[in-house]
Amino acid sequence: MSASEGSSGGGTVEYIQHHLTNLCVGDCDPVTHKAASFWALHLDTVFFSYALAALIIIVSWRLGRSLQTDVPSGFQNFVESILDFVAQQVRDTFPGKNPLIAPLALTIFLWVWLMNFMDLIPVDLLPLLASFLGIGYLKVVPTTDLSTTMAMSLTVFALILYYNIKTKGLIGYGKMFLFHPFGKFVIPINIVMTAIEELAKPLSLGLRLFGNMFAGELVFLLIALIGGSAAIGFGLLLVVPLQVVLDLAWLIFHILVITLQAFIFMVLTIVYLGMATTSDH
Amino acid sequence: MAGAEKPNLMLISVGTILTSMILAGFLLGFFVDSLFQTTPIFLLSFGFLGILGGILKAYKLLTDPELN
Repeated sequence: MSASEGSSGGGTVEYIQHHLTNLCVGDCDPVTHKAASFWALHLDTVFFSYALAALIIIVSWRLGRSLQTDVPSGFQNFVESILDFVAQQVRDTFPGKNPLIAPLALTIFLWVWLMNFMDLIPVDLLPLLASFLGIGYLKVVPTTDLSTTMAMSLTVFALILYYNIKTKGLIGYGKMFLFHPFGKFVIPINIVMTAIEELAKPLSLGLRLFGNMFAGELVFLLIALIGGSAAIGFGLLLVVPLQVVLDLAWLIFHILVITLQAFIFMVLTIVYLGMATTSDH
Repeated sequence: MAGAEKPNLMLISVGTILTSMILAGFLLGFFVDSLFQTTPIFLLSFGFLGILGGILKAYKLLTDPELN
């Protein structure tokens, strides 16, 4: 959790920039290592998000094989309580019945939570290990990458469109655009306003998660810099305890933040899909 | 229960809904402008509508959450 490589690498700004740069392959800018066009891939984001998805699949597969009905084990109890919690949220907010919503909500909750959880791993640990393998840039938290959060929210948006058209029909959905905020006299403005409102749903979903996680990661980096930027000597006696206390405090607070963000993403998905499947707006 | 849960959860997102509606307005305007080569017209008018709609939506959510 030290910033030693930052101070040797040329200052705090470089340290932060280095940590906030993805491992980009494909069409990337050679200087900034940022994606230069659509045809670039953030390899670290893809790797960590797929690895965490694989973790969910493997753990639930193993648990599914060893289910006990009489005396469930501690872990089974824990998973059942998460399942109950998500199912309760779906029952409370989703009108009617739909076999897709509860599994979708559970997947979103677990996956987003695990991706957010990568934030709690010491910021320098995995990039340092990767640098031994010759990987220069590594951003370990997939949800601090706008690509991940917007991909998830656009998937939800596609489902919103699908269910809107399925329940209301193409004409019924079109009618919603015509008469929604201001009545029948200003139809062009209504169309634009409703389009903006619909477009704002995926935008707010994706940007909220990205913003919260990015800011959290940045605070971890700044705390890590406290120790790294101090000179070796007497000052460390003051600075190192400060860093430890601040890091612990932010870590504990951040457990709340990552859970809350995963929860909000899940609940808003349920709410939006619930709005899409009710016929009267 | 459903009526009591939904508005509370929607209220969490009032702030982001306001900002993202403004953003959505400008984005939509930018897209329409690049489609028809009329650069500032739709960007500004849709942006204004986004600001208006965002404020309206936030006001509606805060004063009458049942309706949303």
